[in-house]
Amino acid sequence: MTFEVKDINGTTVVALTGDVDLQSSPAVRQQLLECLDKHKRLVVDLGAVSYIDSSGVASLVEAFQVSRKRAAYFALASVSPAAMRVLSLARLDKVFTIHADVNAAAAAQG
Amino acid sequence: MALATAPAVETITPPPLSAAEVKDHLSLIADMTLVFSASHSFDAVAKSALERVAKYVGAEASSFFMLDDQGQALVCTACYGPVDITGLRLPSTAGIVGRCVQSQEARIVRDVRKDADFGAVVDAKTGFVTKSILVAPLSVGRERLGAIEVINKNIGDNLFSESDLALLHTLSRAAALAIHNLRLTDKLVEQERERHELELAAEIQRDLLPQASPKEFPIHGINVPARAVSGDFYDILQRPDGRIWFNIADVSGKGMNAALLMAKTSSLFRCLAKSAEHPGQLLNAINNELCETNSHGMFVTMVGGLFDPTSGIVRLTNAGHEPPLLFDIMRESFMSIPADAPPLGIATGIAGPDGFPVIDVDLKGGSLYVFTDGLTEATTFGGGMLGLDGVRALIRDHAEESPDLRLKHIAGAVKLPGKPLRDDLTLIVVEDNGVRTDPPKPPGVPFDSTTGVILRVRVPGQADRLKLIRNAVTQAASFCSCDEAWTLDLVMAVDEACQNIIRHAYGGVEGAGDIVADFVRDGDSLSVFLMDFAPPVDPGKIKSRDINDVRPGGLGVHLIKSVTDDARFLPPPPGVGNLFKLTKRLPPKVDC
Repeated sequence: MTFEVKDINGTTVVALTGDVDLQSSPAVRQQLLECLDKHKRLVVDLGAVSYIDSSGVASLVEAFQVSRKRAAYFALASVSPAAMRVLSLARLDKVFTIHADVNAAAAAQG
Repeated sequence: MALATAPAVETITPPPLSAAEVKDHLSLIADMTLVFSASHSFDAVAKSALERVAKYVGAEASSFFMLDDQGQALVCTACYGPVDITGLRLPSTAGIVGRCVQSQEARIVRDVRKDADFGAVVDAKTGFVTKSILVAPLSVGRERLGAIEVINKNIGDNLFSESDLALLHTLSRAAALAIHNLRLTDKLVEQERERHELELAAEIQRDLLPQASPKEFPIHGINVPARAVSGDFYDILQRPDGRIWFNIADVSGKGMNAALLMAKTSSLFRCLAKSAEHPGQLLNAINNELCETNSHGMFVTMVGGLFDPTSGIVRLTNAGHEPPLLFDIMRESFMSIPADAPPLGIATGIAGPDGFPVIDVDLKGGSLYVFTDGLTEATTFGGGMLGLDGVRALIRDHAEESPDLRLKHIAGAVKLPGKPLRDDLTLIVVEDNGVRTDPPKPPGVPFDSTTGVILRVRVPGQADRLKLIRNAVTQAASFCSCDEAWTLDLVMAVDEACQNIIRHAYGGVEGAGDIVADFVRDGDSLSVFLMDFAPPVDPGKIKSRDINDVRPGGLGVHLIKSVTDDARFLPPPPGVGNLFKLTKRLPPKVDC
């Protein structure tokens, strides 16, 4: 699993690639929380996520909750089918703000 | 009008009557007694009786005053005279009539103005002027019913005579007896009606119980009510997947109110069982429904279970009920399974996110007996209570009989001939024939070709090896020609189950032990047996949480349950810590 952090017009985008599992999710969690410490707008790009487990989903939920406490913007973008399957089983597809692609997510108001 | 010389109040000591008086009196008494006894309604003949008596003694008016049910008031039920006072209520001690009822003495009051007890209230209300009164109590034995009054003699010397009083007293006794008999008849009719209604209720209740099970069916039950209707019930309900719901319950209290709550609870069980996954969830749902409407402090103890005849495992929730007994016929030993949830209908919000606690009981070829306290607390031939030891002895004594016969004999042993039971008695037995159509594959034993093993992997139980297990799932699914979406679901379930092994069984300690995964083609399903070598885990502690509660963590069990057809702990073979089996039906038209 790797991740890449970039900025699109003032929105921080973290793009995850590969398997987000018990081994890699602690690093993902740390990265997302650090971004929220520094930035007010965060988008997680799940387009290249081949697998995400409950611990990976837990990292996303935690980041989502921190962002709400701080009135920061938090959204998911271009969620891969594998990741979408888990999110919908966990009924989180209705909880997260999800955009079709990163640019739409970065441009969205919130 | 009364003469000044006459005493105001006289107590009766009937004087001897003349022969003519006796003859006249007798014919009236005989006549009236016949009228009273032949009547089906005292009120119907009362008015004409009062008229005849008044006319016979030459009085202006007459009335019956009856005590109400509480004995607090005297009510005029019939009257004869210029004013109608029917329905008039007086305190049961008020006036001359009240004094007569309390003292049970017949009296002549020749001048009411000289009687301190005379209440002029009635006269004031009606405009009638009461001058003299003849009054006699209506009573049977010690039972006071009321009094009969005759008012204002207006013939002859206008004075009521002793002979008038003796006549009234005799007639009042005949009337009282008639009233008493009619009331008894009414009571008998009412009792008969209630008995008939109870019979109907009992019939409907019997229909709520399941039909007798076929001989070879694994669950049998019996219910013997202590009265016409029962507060106990049991039910047996087969699911389309072959597993069988059963329950046994005891409603607090007895009689009709308990029977009505029983009917409600049994309907809830039948209805909610169709959508429940396990008994903890089901009993919690029943509890919530009961709490919404049950307001009379009544509650229900219940054991709810889901039996899988293929594995011999009963998933059980015990809500405040007698502990079921598991009998091992080979060892002749018993195991008691205590309650760990409170009775139903008392309070909501006491269950965890996945309902009440559930315990998995492996019958291992044994029989599970679930019963109400009507059995343990039944009186035996010796006069004592049967008790748990007595129940065990009966089970042992009848162990060799067929289940339906066995239940009949056990219930019959405490039903003494000619004596009603102390409490409703209900008993069910869940029989495991010990034949495993779906046996767990013990690890360590080499798989042969018939077991359909596809792949076995053994990896250290740590996070960085999960990917290898996921790959193994993908390979096994690919071997069975499963599509991508199907494969992803099984990958997820196995991955989450392995995470639980790493985090809970091995406590997150790297190198604490290995995980062995066997992938087995099992008919039209793919099963994954996951084994670890850690100390046994309490399955109750690994629970799914309420999915609507958005928070990190606790999702794993929910994901596993969502994407598999079955996921459960099995008794681990020797040398294995925990054995967890996941089963997922293969997609249609797949050929291995």
